[in-house]
Amino acid sequence: MNRPTRPAQRNARCVLAACVLLATTIIVTASGCAAVRASTPACRSLARLGLVAQSVPSAAYVPCVNDLPPGWSVPSFDVRRGSTQFALLSDRSQGHAVKVRLTGGCQTGRAEPTTSRGPGVQTFIRLSSIDPRYAGTLYDVFPGGCITYRFDLRRGPHIALMQEFEDSVMLMPRHQLQSELHTELGLQLQP
Amino acid sequence: MGAHDRILLLIAVVGAVLTVALDFRPVMAAVTRADDTILGWISDLRTPALTAAADRVQALGSFWTIRICAWLTLAALIGVRRLRHLAVYLAVFLGCSLLGTAVARSLGRMRPGNVTILAGWSGYAYPSAPVVALGLVLVGAIHTLVPAGRWRSRAAYVAAGLMVALILSRLYLGVDHPTDALAGVILGSVVPAAVFLAAAPEEAFPVAYRRGQRAHLDIGGARGAAITQALNHQLGLSVAALEPFGLAGSAGSTPMRIRLTPTPVRTETQVFAKLYALNHLRSDRWYKLARTVLYGRLEDEKPFSTVRRLAEYEDHMLRLLRDHGLPTPRPYGFVEITPEREYAIVMEYFDGTAELGSTLADETVSSGLAIVRKLWDAGVAHRDIKPSNLLIRDGQVLLIDVAFATVRPTPWRQAVDLANMMLTLSLYSTPRRVFDQARRYFTADEIAEALAASRSITIPSQLRSLLQADGRDLLRQLTRMAPERAPVAIQLWDLRRLYVTVAVLAGLAAAVAATAAYLQTTSLL
Repeated sequence: MNRPTRPAQRNARCVLAACVLLATTIIVTASGCAAVRASTPACRSLARLGLVAQSVPSAAYVPCVNDLPPGWSVPSFDVRRGSTQFALLSDRSQGHAVKVRLTGGCQTGRAEPTTSRGPGVQTFIRLSSIDPRYAGTLYDVFPGGCITYRFDLRRGPHIALMQEFEDSVMLMPRHQLQSELHTELGLQLQP
Repeated sequence: MGAHDRILLLIAVVGAVLTVALDFRPVMAAVTRADDTILGWISDLRTPALTAAADRVQALGSFWTIRICAWLTLAALIGVRRLRHLAVYLAVFLGCSLLGTAVARSLGRMRPGNVTILAGWSGYAYPSAPVVALGLVLVGAIHTLVPAGRWRSRAAYVAAGLMVALILSRLYLGVDHPTDALAGVILGSVVPAAVFLAAAPEEAFPVAYRRGQRAHLDIGGARGAAITQALNHQLGLSVAALEPFGLAGSAGSTPMRIRLTPTPVRTETQVFAKLYALNHLRSDRWYKLARTVLYGRLEDEKPFSTVRRLAEYEDHMLRLLRDHGLPTPRPYGFVEITPEREYAIVMEYFDGTAELGSTLADETVSSGLAIVRKLWDAGVAHRDIKPSNLLIRDGQVLLIDVAFATVRPTPWRQAVDLANMMLTLSLYSTPRRVFDQARRYFTADEIAEALAASRSITIPSQLRSLLQADGRDLLRQLTRMAPERAPVAIQLWDLRRLYVTVAVLAGLAAAVAATAAYLQTTSLL
């Protein structure tokens, strides 16, 4: 007696499944690895910053992360229409990330003016606690937008940590971003 | 590979190539320029009325729409106990969601920059998350809940219409680029469709809402042709017709009657066959696991490891029982339909038989009890004695369906066989006559032990429901005739039952935790 003819369709399905699995693996490996290192609004990632700028179209400045000092990471990055927020976490302040948020405006209330972080930028600070933790909010207010930095740091290393995150988060002027997007990537950014 | 499969594969490959290519700046710039041109044309069509309409339509891709669709599908799949489809659905939903997130983060594509964005958005543009999500829930629902054929085609058209409406609204509102939507369609619709076709093929896991046992497979179409070919090639049987047979009495396989064209080699005109598939194997495993946890081991119930083993075992049992002179069907062997997935065991079709129904003569009752005696003497237990497994021909009882039979069973299991035979025969006779006939083959103590071992769980469900409908309390009447004997305990506690129970509980706890994590990851909560 002959052996049965195996249904050809089953083999075809296996080939299809294998191809889909292979393609998925390649994309996941390629993009997944890249995503881990790239989900940061880095000042060099122009497209990513373009998206941040699109979240608050009126903002004259866009926050971006320059070179992160050793021990710092960006555990979250959320962009949506109306706001962008991301967190900066230091290994010397586990569980207490600095939360950075860009919006169209903010109420500084009784915050004290402090050294400006850029041309046309008014910077304020309001402390809710000094000891045992150094906690409060830093504000960068500029035309069409505002960036808040909520921090809650352990007293002691807080001076170095404050300095490090302030140095890490840069303000990129919108017109500069528009220009670089156009020249480097050929992309437009309205307005 | 069929044309349909090839098209799906080609589209998936195009999507993968496009995604990889977009990582290169010149490609991204060129594609974005083309996208911007199209969006520019579309934005020229903007009017207040169209904007209001598009804003409403794009709610098709809202979180709530997606969640409601996904939850309804999950509830339906659980309700109809279509576990294979449920597992594939969950895997596809998770896999495509994660893949979409990974690709989006990797490319970090902006929203359209040349038109004013008129609607809310969140996250990166490529691939369009709402298009992915709507595609996933629609394709998932179609492939798991809608029967193949006309209904599935109609549902696919409706789904395609909804997808097109969502995509057009999002392009109109300037939220997505055309390529974002294209990638969303590929990831949310094409890839899931390919996975469903591969992981839950219609021929093996049909979506159907017919009455009857869930275990029964459709033996028409491609499967019917494969069975016919296998019978011809492997057993030399020339099949004239194939039809389901005795479905009501079988839960663990798909029984069928096969009409044959006699040949010089084969003179039979019909045979009986049972189709075994993976789902039968899984049912067997779950059934035995549940019995282990609930009652301890009622018998040495080790699950079968493969479908082939299941078919081999029944074929072996048929031969063994024939060797011991039991009136069971003559075996013809079994055929391989799909390697390791589907096998059909073929045996003699008992022609000229009648099912139990009318009042039985003493001679017939005696022949039934003689069967149990022979089983005992052969050191075999049938383990599924019930009316649908007994046939009458020329006043003699014939025994079928030996799939559950076991060699060298415990005395308890053999006693249960006797009790079930007595109860079955009593349904069509009187307890007194059955008891008297039983005394010809068994001692009073043996009968008393058999009846003392009989419990609801030891009685097959068909026999149990017939006993309830009969209303004579046959077990009690029979027990009164036998010497007094304490009931045999059925709950067995041993180490195996303990660790199986602990493993099942741990598995349930892990499943709950995994479900919570899953729902969080896929944003279904």
